[in-house]
Amino acid sequence: MDHLLQLLVNGLSSGAVYALFALGYTLVFSVLGVINFAHGAVFTLGAYFTYLLIGGAVGANGLLAGLQLPFTLPFPLALLLAGVGAAAVSLLVEAAAFRPLRRRGADPLLALISSLGAGVILVNLLQLLVGAESYAIPTSALGTLPAAVSLGGAQVRTVQLLLMAIAALVVVVLTLWLERSRGGKALQAVAEDPTTARLLGINSDRMVQLAFGVSGFLAGVAGGLVGLSVSIAGPYFGIGYGLKGLGVLVLGGLGSVPGAVLGGLIVGLAEALVPADYSGFKDAVAYAFLFAVLLLRPRGLLGRPTITKV
Amino acid sequence: MIGARALGLVALLAALTGCGPGADTKPLNLSAGLPVGAALSLTGNANVYGQDQQIGLRLAQESVKGPGGKPVALRLEDGGSDEQSATSAFNLLIEGGAIALIGPTLSQQAFAADPIAQRRGVPVVAPSNTASGIPEIGSFISRVSAQSSVIAPLSIAKALELHPGIKRAAVFYAHDDAYSTSETTIFQKALSAKGLPPVTVQRTQLNDQDFQNQITAALRLKPDLIVLSLQAVDGGNLIRQLRELGYRGVIVVGNGMNTPNIYPICQKHCDGILIAQAYSPELDTPANREFVRRYKAAKGGAIPPQLTAQAFTALQVISEAADRLDRRQPLAKLNLRSARAALNSELLSGRYQTPLGEIGFTADGEVVQKQFFVAQVRMAPGGRTGRFALLN
Repeated sequence: MDHLLQLLVNGLSSGAVYALFALGYTLVFSVLGVINFAHGAVFTLGAYFTYLLIGGAVGANGLLAGLQLPFTLPFPLALLLAGVGAAAVSLLVEAAAFRPLRRRGADPLLALISSLGAGVILVNLLQLLVGAESYAIPTSALGTLPAAVSLGGAQVRTVQLLLMAIAALVVVVLTLWLERSRGGKALQAVAEDPTTARLLGINSDRMVQLAFGVSGFLAGVAGGLVGLSVSIAGPYFGIGYGLKGLGVLVLGGLGSVPGAVLGGLIVGLAEALVPADYSGFKDAVAYAFLFAVLLLRPRGLLGRPTITKV
Repeated sequence: MIGARALGLVALLAALTGCGPGADTKPLNLSAGLPVGAALSLTGNANVYGQDQQIGLRLAQESVKGPGGKPVALRLEDGGSDEQSATSAFNLLIEGGAIALIGPTLSQQAFAADPIAQRRGVPVVAPSNTASGIPEIGSFISRVSAQSSVIAPLSIAKALELHPGIKRAAVFYAHDDAYSTSETTIFQKALSAKGLPPVTVQRTQLNDQDFQNQITAALRLKPDLIVLSLQAVDGGNLIRQLRELGYRGVIVVGNGMNTPNIYPICQKHCDGILIAQAYSPELDTPANREFVRRYKAAKGGAIPPQLTAQAFTALQVISEAADRLDRRQPLAKLNLRSARAALNSELLSGRYQTPLGEIGFTADGEVVQKQFFVAQVRMAPGGRTGRFALLN
């Protein structure tokens, strides 16, 4: 029983990260119908921003070797600001890789490729600036909190609990914002039908920017949390999460916010419940599960059918 | 990286259409110095190793001379962290007229890239491939990185010497990495030979970061020795998670974690881990003292890691062998193909005073090294930096 609880906690904490990641994908997809492949790079930047803001120094390589900010912020504030920084980068990605193509009426596939290019450029720029070293957000960032706590017989790392709590908070706030605020409703209107939304006076360009900003913020926060939980394994570490997030997005249903959350949790749990002797194959198991679900529900778990007007 | 791949493809096409090998019959071009190529992991997840190695090559380039006292014209290509990038880089360097190659960084890459050099008759000196079977790829493949089967058992022996009460060992390795799978076999044999067959063998995937499921499974069996064959970042993360989840026993790690780049990952939790090494900065020989001096001058007083020393050694043996060969048989009069073959024979027959101590090679390219070491990581207060402290 203790063991099962331990596995559930492990799965839910991994799933929380996947969900946060996939929510960013979902927001952009819902308004543009395109996957933003630079999302993984923005996630990575969020982790680096958090590391620098809590007082971390750049290593011996890169153009910024030895750089350390002249101030140190507590982790919660650093995480928040890292999210804001990542949102700013995400807006830049929108302006550089999406908007010019959208204005020319280009095929959405081209935007997908240009976002991939933007992601590669961001990651390489990051390596040029800070080198390829790995960093970890110090465990002391949690202050006097213990490294782990015992929960019903399961040993749970404090950072896992934090991850789940923050992810849950973000999902609640995001859902309330989407459902209750004018901005959130306008975003949903553009996602539903951009032409009608425009006729109703909604500035769809502004809504696209909003989607990128919120998406970048979520990616930045997820990056910072992963940096605290495991480490920042160099400028490329977002790639793996990007692929996993893509799977989660498809599993939950393209463009569905609850679907992204559900998909993230399911993938996290599926990985955790792989028997220990086969845990080296957890990715294969997770994707096999995804494949099986898609065979039964091609639109994903909570995806809506596309209505074709004739 | 994408650019390098594209260029590699062009080089490959040139080779396939017959344009490439023709270049091998041209005279060796020594106008800019001895042309040596290196393919290191400068991007991707193995770049933590490539950066250490790049410094070693740069220091060697400054201190060693090629034939006639000319400098070594080192051409460095990014070998990425995957097999395809390493293969592309090797193709580029071979087409570029390199007389010998250094690299690639990972054993996994070497099994893909080395056969290309072997087919073209280009000597390869591997600076960091420790998996079994590397020199066996062919007669042109040698290495200065002692194989795991020689080094890995030393750390197990030291762990049992320091902690004779150890009763239960658990093993972790990445099942999709040639280095890890090779080294864990050695570790498991060494444990069994000491009467400690592993109570569990946990498999991870290369570049995994979250190991809590495997740790949960292993800790249920209450091990008091955990042995890791993982790459640096993966291993650093696993150690941190192990300690945070309450494991207090002994940890032995393999060569993949033989880099100071683990310190920022496992931080204070790195303290106390045991590792066998093919290099010690404390080795008191003229060659090593000079190497340490140069490294400290270049890196603000830091202590050189093993990968840097091995990369330095790789370039040193190539340039010394070329110099010796040139005195006997001027390289400028040979075509590239003959020069490569002659250099390979010379390289394997020589003895070298290097930062690793005196080394030579067996006829099939395996390094013959006299001294190995076991070190323990000692982290400085604050857990940000540390050192590999030599254990006597």
